[in-house]
Amino acid sequence: MSRIGVFVCHCGTNIAGTVDVARVAEAMKAEPGVVFATDYKYMCSEPGQQMVKDMIKEHKLDRIVICSCTPRMHENTFRKMLKDTDVNPYMLEIANIREQCSWVHTDKEKATEKAIALARMAVAKVGRDFPLFTSTIPIHKKALVIGGGIAGIQAALDIADAGYQVTLLEREPSIGGRMVMLDKTFPTLDCSACISTPKMVEVSAHPNIELRTSCELEDVSGYVGNFEVTIRQKARYVNHDICTGCGLCETKCPTKVISEFNQGMSERRAIYKSFAQAVPAKPVIDPDHCRKLQEGKCGVCQAVCPLKAINFEDKDTTFTDTYGAIIVSTGYQLIQWQDLYPEYGGGRFKDVISGLQFERLVNASGPTEGHILRPSDQTEPKDVVIVKCVGSRDPKKGKSYCSRACCMYAAKHAHQILEKIPDSNVYVFYMDVRTPGKGYEEFYDRTRKDGANYIRGRVAKIYKEGGRLICRGEDSLLGRQVTVEADLVILETAMVPADGIGEVVHKLGIAMDADGWVQEAHPKLRPVETQTAGVYLAGTCQGPKDIPDTVAQASAAAAKVCGLFSKSEMETSPMTSKVDQSKCCGCGHCEVCCPYKAITLVEIDDREGPKKIRRTVASVNSGLCQGCGCCAAACRTGAIDLLGFTNDQILREVDALCQ
Amino acid sequence: MSSIIEELQSTVKKLLEDGTVGYVIGWGATRFPDRTTPVFITRPEDAHKLVWNHYCVNGTAKYALDDRYPEKKIGIIIRGCDSRAVNRMIQDNQLKRENLYLIGIPCDGKENPVCEGCQHKNPLVYDVLIGTPVEEKINPDRFKEVAEFEKLSQDEKYEYWAKQYDKCIHCYACRNVCPACNCKECYADQYRVGWQGKQNNRNSNQVYGLTRAFHVGDRCIECGECERVCPMGLPIMRQTKKMLKDINDLFGDYECGLNDSRPHVLGEFDLQDRDEFM
Ligand SMILES: Cc1cc2nc3c(=O)[nH]c(=O)nc-3n(C[C@H](O)[C@H](O)[C@H](O)COP(=O)(O)OP(=O)(O)OC[C@H]3O[C@@H](n4cnc5c(N)ncnc54)[C@H](O)[C@@H]3O)c2cc1C
Ligand code: SF4
Ligand code: SF4
Ligand code: SF4
Ligand code: SF4
Repeated sequence: MSRIGVFVCHCGTNIAGTVDVARVAEAMKAEPGVVFATDYKYMCSEPGQQMVKDMIKEHKLDRIVICSCTPRMHENTFRKMLKDTDVNPYMLEIANIREQCSWVHTDKEKATEKAIALARMAVAKVGRDFPLFTSTIPIHKKALVIGGGIAGIQAALDIADAGYQVTLLEREPSIGGRMVMLDKTFPTLDCSACISTPKMVEVSAHPNIELRTSCELEDVSGYVGNFEVTIRQKARYVNHDICTGCGLCETKCPTKVISEFNQGMSERRAIYKSFAQAVPAKPVIDPDHCRKLQEGKCGVCQAVCPLKAINFEDKDTTFTDTYGAIIVSTGYQLIQWQDLYPEYGGGRFKDVISGLQFERLVNASGPTEGHILRPSDQTEPKDVVIVKCVGSRDPKKGKSYCSRACCMYAAKHAHQILEKIPDSNVYVFYMDVRTPGKGYEEFYDRTRKDGANYIRGRVAKIYKEGGRLICRGEDSLLGRQVTVEADLVILETAMVPADGIGEVVHKLGIAMDADGWVQEAHPKLRPVETQTAGVYLAGTCQGPKDIPDTVAQASAAAAKVCGLFSKSEMETSPMTSKVDQSKCCGCGHCEVCCPYKAITLVEIDDREGPKKIRRTVASVNSGLCQGCGCCAAACRTGAIDLLGFTNDQILREVDALCQ
Repeated sequence: MSSIIEELQSTVKKLLEDGTVGYVIGWGATRFPDRTTPVFITRPEDAHKLVWNHYCVNGTAKYALDDRYPEKKIGIIIRGCDSRAVNRMIQDNQLKRENLYLIGIPCDGKENPVCEGCQHKNPLVYDVLIGTPVEEKINPDRFKEVAEFEKLSQDEKYEYWAKQYDKCIHCYACRNVCPACNCKECYADQYRVGWQGKQNNRNSNQVYGLTRAFHVGDRCIECGECERVCPMGLPIMRQTKKMLKDINDLFGDYECGLNDSRPHVLGEFDLQDRDEFM
């Protein structure tokens, strides 16, 4: 017979104000198996815990029910407490009579009844608890960072500086992400390349960092501490071990291709470095445009390369490595506004550009060497309209969320135009101006003082008339239509997740939110972790943000990784799934629904009557299993049970509730 | 018809003679002209016992589950519905295709109401086909009955099923015949106090029937075997059809058992799937 102790917490007046805690304790004394029940002011406090420990000794308790706050709050506290006693830490149930009772009810009589019901359920369940034991797994102290934007760069540097090995994986030929495309950064207006390229160089020179560009994630298996990752190195056609990056090939290549880095406003060659300060500072061949690879003719680069580094036979290769932790920092891209906003010309007007195009236009190493010139005729615009929230805060056409950085970089753009073109007029169409950051409001204030005209309202239509762009919209403060003639229109468009994020998420067994951003484990308390242990998040892959927030998050993720790596092995939760192979029919429904790929089908020796047979059954890798319970719900025969939440235990709870 | 029977019998005879199969499951005659019975033909000289007529109603595929680890291939004579049953059990990892030799036979409908709405009269998979394919048609009324039933109020629906389960005698015939019910040990057979009552009363029958419906709802091949065998005439397919209707409404056209590739509709996870609920 079990010997259950029930401890009802007052939580000051948090619980006791609405629930008659003494009555709850009294009622529990009548429950089968309960040998002791009491109430106490703060169960989680030192004297509270001591009292529980004393009662365990005095009454020889073998299982415990604590009626208190949510188990998310103190289950671990009480498990730790039980480690000093003879009671197994998993012979513990928490009845949440605070969040699920006292906080949501006012009628004391009814709340007390409900608390009694919740406590009774916990007592019924604890009676079916059995001891569980944690095990330990070794930690492979090498981290993988996916995405080499500023987030990935910062995270890789922090981990490497702490003395651990890092692989930085980037699918483009160079690291740097969006930040190196920017001209200046708000609110301090320091040159973006000047502060990011030294970090890029540091990455390439760091002894603890293995830089892998033109690479993609191919496959991930394993679990925290021991991820087996296969990476695909895309063919570069240039042997980077030999190439010195002299750049001769680039000057001789006859094929011109639109430059992605300059946002379509200049050209590069088919053998190219994305930009002058690219890291690695060596070219690659773009196979879709290279004449030799497409048509079999040319090969000029190969002829001119003094070191014979060009290899047209280059093929994709894959390699596999083991990592203890993975950081996802795949960043963002801008929304394809052309498809969504035909009223802004849908991309037909050359002088309606995106904010990122403007960054390149205003940048000294950009297509116009920093002179703000209209893409259509290379003249200096006098009247410039900036439209904010294009695709953001627009659930009908774009995204319902705010892209967070645009208010500030719109102010930056206005400031830059007014500074570079002294007699210009800048009109900013806005819905709100959001400046919640250090020095942000001051920066916005300054831009207005510079002379930027802020007009509150959305632009309804942009059309062309006599070479100029007519922007019609509403000034919602004055409640009237406004029409502004412009030479150049800048659309500050929404950030959306990087292409291909779905595949990364799926391979890693983590989750996305409705907009495709990677889901954090808890928005407040675990913002850089994912639901999968050992996989962390940094930067804009988690949601729109500016550089300060991106870098802070990257360092936070790195700190998590270093924390994990500070130990050589880690405890695993014993609350994982377990298959009763005698019942399992091997249908594999659990296998497909497991989000962590923890279940595999295996063959076992069995008998069927006198016949020896090989039978397929499911098997759980407890290192991978996160205890989500999907499989247990999918299994029709009830062959899978989640330890700590077995079908039997849950049924007892339901039974107790229905009494 | 008679030439088809001859073709069927000679094919089976040959398969048994040359040892391709250990035995063949098909239909045989009974004392009654309007009844047939499933038969297991093990000797070539018994092949003439096979019949093929309007009364070949029993599903043949599920019997293979009694011999999951055969020494030789099992020969099964399959109609459209039986072929879907075979696919079902392969999808559910219960049979291996290489253990089966499928003798397909196009079917123009049997003495079974479910055949009226049949959309797959020709076997979807087979190793040899007897006769020639027949014309198939889409059944526009596939979910008509369910749609009508949906119009009732919750109370009316509850009352309806409660009465049905008063009739049910908890015999498990519906489960035993169902090709989607292919678990090694059915939850209903497990001894777990408070889990599933084995008594024959409204409550236990209801829990059994509705749980079974959920277990097979997204995998039901609409063969109608459950209804055919129910001695008490329960409209069991109404439950699975309701689930299939919902699946069709949510995910577009869907029928189970059209091929043998895994996974099935509710088990599938697509890269583009989003976790709005998290
Ligand atoms: C017009 C504009 C102006 C801005 N101005 C400012 C400013 O002045 N100040 C400021 O603080 N912020 C500014 N921002 C915001 C700033 O750009 C971001 O906060 C920052 O760049 C985010 O960095 P990140 O590393 O998260 O993402 P990214 O820079 O997008 O980096 C992600 C990297 O991951 C790589 N990647 C993506 N998918 C994969 C994959 N599957 N496998 C491998 N690699 C992958 C990408 O190629 C990229 O290199 C501006 C943004 C815009 C659009
Ligand atoms: S769902 Fe259940 S029966 Fe099917 S393989 Fe998994 S554990 Fe076995
Ligand atoms: S119709 Fe009935 S017997 Fe046939 S698969 Fe569906 S539930 Fe099973
Ligand atoms: S009722 Fe459920 S558990 Fe039983 S055989 Fe059918 S699917 Fe399997
Ligand atoms: S066959 Fe009919 S009577 Fe028998 S268990 Fe199924 S529903 Fe009940």
